[in-house]
Amino acid sequence: MISDRLKKTILNVLKLDDYEIQSETRADEVPGWDSLNHINVILAVEKEYQVRFKNIEVLKLKNIGDLQKLVDSKAK
Amino acid sequence: MINRYNPNETLWERWSLNAALFPDKEAIVHWDAEAEPFRWTFSHLLSSAEKYALALKHMGIRKGDVCAIIMRHNAQFYPLYLSIASIGAIPAVLAYPNGRLHPEKFRQGLEGMAKHSGLDWIMTERDIEPIISSLTVGQNSAIRGILFPLEFHAETPVNNDEYREILNTRANMKPDDPFLLQHSSGTTGLQKPVLLTHREILLHISNYSDAIRLTDSDKIASWLPLYHDMGLIAAFQMPLASGITTIQIDPFQWVMVPEILLDAISKEKATLAWLPNFAFNLMADKIRTEDLEEISLESVRMLINCSEPVRYDSFVKFLESFQHLGITKEKFGASYGMAEITFSATQTEPGMQPRHFSADRQMLSKGVVQIAGTDSQQVVRECVSSGKPIKGTIIKILGENGQELPEGMVGEIAIKSETVFQGYRNYPEKTAEVLKDGWYYSGDYGFILDGFIYAIGRKKDIIIVAGNNIYPEDVEDAVLQADGVIPGRVIAFGEEDPSIGSEQISVIAESNLTDPESLKKLRLEIVRTGMQIDVTIKNVYIVPPRWLIKSSAGKPARKANMERILKSKEEVLWG
Repeated sequence: MISDRLKKTILNVLKLDDYEIQSETRADEVPGWDSLNHINVILAVEKEYQVRFKNIEVLKLKNIGDLQKLVDSKAK
Repeated sequence: MINRYNPNETLWERWSLNAALFPDKEAIVHWDAEAEPFRWTFSHLLSSAEKYALALKHMGIRKGDVCAIIMRHNAQFYPLYLSIASIGAIPAVLAYPNGRLHPEKFRQGLEGMAKHSGLDWIMTERDIEPIISSLTVGQNSAIRGILFPLEFHAETPVNNDEYREILNTRANMKPDDPFLLQHSSGTTGLQKPVLLTHREILLHISNYSDAIRLTDSDKIASWLPLYHDMGLIAAFQMPLASGITTIQIDPFQWVMVPEILLDAISKEKATLAWLPNFAFNLMADKIRTEDLEEISLESVRMLINCSEPVRYDSFVKFLESFQHLGITKEKFGASYGMAEITFSATQTEPGMQPRHFSADRQMLSKGVVQIAGTDSQQVVRECVSSGKPIKGTIIKILGENGQELPEGMVGEIAIKSETVFQGYRNYPEKTAEVLKDGWYYSGDYGFILDGFIYAIGRKKDIIIVAGNNIYPEDVEDAVLQADGVIPGRVIAFGEEDPSIGSEQISVIAESNLTDPESLKKLRLEIVRTGMQIDVTIKNVYIVPPRWLIKSSAGKPARKANMERILKSKEEVLWG
């Protein structure tokens, strides 16, 4: 389950009004979320949740559900 | 280090010599942010290539066969590449499809390339078998087979007859035999194949390594994809042929975590890297100071800006961010080149920052170079030089009627190079457009000042996003599939984005739709059509019917419409 807060942060970076995001949704399925924009999304999520991800953690993300889990584990 | 050109030598002979002279020297450090690097010495790389060569020969690959390699970052790529060349076949690296690219578009692209580039074999990974399994292979197709080299058995039994044939092929290999195929640009359907010989590669490497004063203490660090000439020639072929080390980083890992390059430079004490302009911005803007605590860039000798227009601001940003790690302005370099002349036409002087000056933008648009004065109201453009022609290269600037222009006048850059290609494979009409009397017509606008070359724009409509060349036709064809776009009424163009130091793709599409909700959906649909060919459409301008200006041929004129939309950006358009 993707939280509204995470979804809003992502959509804000990608300048999308709304877009269906599920746990299984991959970055490359979301309009505007290309490889160049990936780092912008990650930095925005870190800022929003006041957390820091390690490089290895960022590289292991396979879908947005993984990003949610990572955020949850850091924000505890 | 060896970089003396020997006109009788082939690449295989050069690699074998390097393996004999420097058996234990690292040839390739295969970098992986998630694991320890894999280190290929020159001797291990060649002995491993020998095993692949036997396997490939056994599978029926013949001299002259074009072998497309479509693989992700993998340590086995390098011996495989060498093995293909070692049996007289021709390696061609193609981009691995990412999840955005529509499978059908990828298949169509491959079929188109098989027809034009003459791909005989596809060597890839099992993961994309579902996408490519419907490709026609065999008797009724140009493609003879699909192979999965990562599954080859480590020890193919030696068949003495086949091995003798391999040795015979090598013994008869000539410097003017085709050695590799690289593609000049394009997304899916319009990539133009450039075939290069052993002689062209070795001579180019010799000329270019003179220009950057390559020595045996140099080490190259690169995240550049090997389907691109800058990555393939500068960061792969040149070090392999010269007997120096190259550190190869996964392009996908780098773009997600750009400090990987700095980490690799720091740990391996790399001295050289080639980067498209956007990479300077990306690293300066996105890498946080706290991630740099253990990084030193003191070892760097040159960071060479290449493959898209050089922007002075990008150097300034990079210097501000990384000066404390050992970067100085004298470590910046620039080069101008293209696949058609093997790689590079010009290079700046090592140890000197690229020349730059403020030009009067208005005069520049009229084709005249005039250094800007002190008037603060004057609109200026910072022009950065890509250096002087390298050895074996002559450059001239041509006016509209093909006449040679004097210094200080803007025109098309034409290049005569010892290592110019013979023509696009199976594309005589496209070859005739760009290759005339031994001169390559670049389609780029530029000028010469005090002997230094400045490339400042493009005559062609091609869009360069983060170093990748994209044809607007490909984007327009994709966007026309969106429901709500009037057939034939779309143009795509590159719009400058100073924040990333590159261009972004913009689209103007005519539509009859008027209500805001439908327009919103159409805009999203247009972005999605771009995703299917793996391009990101950043700006979508939806305009009413008959808004687009037509050319004399009756098609929407890209340049005129681009100027119109950028001028009227503030006006209220539909949506």
